[in-house]
Amino acid sequence: MDPVAGIGLRAPHLAEIARERPATGFLEIHAENHLERSQAVEALRADYAFSVHAVGLSLGSVDGLDEAHLARVAALVKRLEPALVSDHLSWSSFGGRYFNDLLPLPYTEEALAVVVRNVQRLQEALGRQVSIENPSSYLGFAQSTLSEPEFLAELVRRSGCGLLLDVNNIVVTAHNLCLDARDWLDLPGETITQYHVAGHAVNDADGETILIDDHGSRVSDGVWALFADVVERFGPRPTLVEWDADLPALSVLLEEAARAASVGGRRAARAA
Amino acid sequence: MPLALRDLQRAFAAQLSAEAQPALAAEIVPASARLRIHRHHMLDSLASALAATFPTVQAVVGADFFRGLARAFIGQSLPSQPVLAEYGAGFPAFIAGNGANRDLPYLADVARLDWALNLAFHTPAGGGLAAADLATIPADQLPSLRLGLTPGTVLVASPYPLDRIWAASQPEAAVDAVDLAAGGVRLLVLRRPDDAAFVSLSEAEAAFVGGLVDGLSLEEAAGRAETGFDLSACFSRLLGLGVLAAAQ
Amino acid sequence: MTTTRLAIASALAAALVLPAATQAQGNMERCYGVAKAGKNDCQTAKSSCAGTSKTDAQNDAWISVPKGVCDKLVGGKTTAG
Repeated sequence: MDPVAGIGLRAPHLAEIARERPATGFLEIHAENHLERSQAVEALRADYAFSVHAVGLSLGSVDGLDEAHLARVAALVKRLEPALVSDHLSWSSFGGRYFNDLLPLPYTEEALAVVVRNVQRLQEALGRQVSIENPSSYLGFAQSTLSEPEFLAELVRRSGCGLLLDVNNIVVTAHNLCLDARDWLDLPGETITQYHVAGHAVNDADGETILIDDHGSRVSDGVWALFADVVERFGPRPTLVEWDADLPALSVLLEEAARAASVGGRRAARAA
Repeated sequence: MPLALRDLQRAFAAQLSAEAQPALAAEIVPASARLRIHRHHMLDSLASALAATFPTVQAVVGADFFRGLARAFIGQSLPSQPVLAEYGAGFPAFIAGNGANRDLPYLADVARLDWALNLAFHTPAGGGLAAADLATIPADQLPSLRLGLTPGTVLVASPYPLDRIWAASQPEAAVDAVDLAAGGVRLLVLRRPDDAAFVSLSEAEAAFVGGLVDGLSLEEAAGRAETGFDLSACFSRLLGLGVLAAAQ
Repeated sequence: MTTTRLAIASALAAALVLPAATQAQGNMERCYGVAKAGKNDCQTAKSSCAGTSKTDAQNDAWISVPKGVCDKLVGGKTTAG
């Protein structure tokens, strides 16, 4: 089967997609946007595979998961029967307050145990495997004893979850924390279920260049280059083009997705 | 000595909420300036979510003032759960209890209308009683029937012309001026298959609906309306709007 | 059954057989579209990159004169209390 690329199903495009039913590998939705109003999305199930990307489960919270929220996400997953369910390696809440951000974890044994426990609880509640995405980082912790790829590999081994490898996040994190993007090529490739590519912003802050994962432009050349290396190393996987800020016309989004699919297609053709 | 994850998350959260404990933060975060990226993202993204939920408030006061208002609110009430469409229930009361309402006394009511529309929009549609659903009930039993409103339906009453303020705030509004002395309104906000909407009720209709919400029977609710109230027309209108439901 | 109650019963029963005339429902303002859905996201706000500056980007909008549609709202009671 040809590798596929999908796009995010965003509200401004919903009517056009429902009307035109353009060809695309799959549609991705953010779970938290469709917990109550999913009829319009469910109406597309006959024509598209779905990927449910949660942004608020806060899998790195030392407090554990919010069971009420978990139940609502589980109900959505049951209704939509998506091909993939995912969330991030990060935390968003503490002490009952929710910060609406994907906050960084120290990569320690203690944090690993917390994430493993939360991912296991999530998989148990959904009755299926979930995939965990490497985050974009803007800071690191001095107390970390593992690298991010080591932490992810161990998480996969202990929880049985899959990996969602976000190539843009690798580029952003590696730049911001002065790491080598090639370190992520040591991940257990067979556990990768999906790739993400996206655009990022380049910001000059106090004389220092910081990359911001803003999903607000075309995929950068650097990300396409690393994506080609990733596909070469691990093989093609379903790939999502993420574009959330300054959303372009649907046709532009589909163009980017076609480019992502062609990278995987070349690799598949060579392997055949 | 590395911090336990609980202490680290507590310190990080305190930084985000501006209850800074700088010494602790400096110790655990080598590049503490980077922490501000997270604080600003939190404030920015939550303010944007509030702007999407309260578009009329933003249109009335302008984007800059709204941002200040939103940040002040966020500072004192962060979300308690991750769904942003459900964040902001306390914003109208925050506006009412704060300086903005001194100069713009209608602003809290505008916020209540925005919140009601947001709530209605995110409520599953349907479930309203139609005339046919009540046709089997003997006429002499109708007066003692107790009905409520469908989920998402809510009455927003204000001494200000909220409907005109709303209309003037629409992106392509061609309204030159709204006379704030034009009188109050009673708006019934309701859920429809593809959107949320509101209709304006007369004082008598609003009194009748208020009675139903309070758990009164149709007869008792009709007693709240002024004399000359056209009960037939009102009941038919409410059934047509699909806003009546079996009492809970 | 009292006269009042009888009148109420017939008024209610009459409503059940009235045709559901749309104009009788009154002017309806359509307020929201599906375009309003979708507030949750997983990207970082671009403006947060101002985050490394020393100030908090907390402008003084809070105490400035609001600029918006409120300029159009005139007359009547414009201050509380």
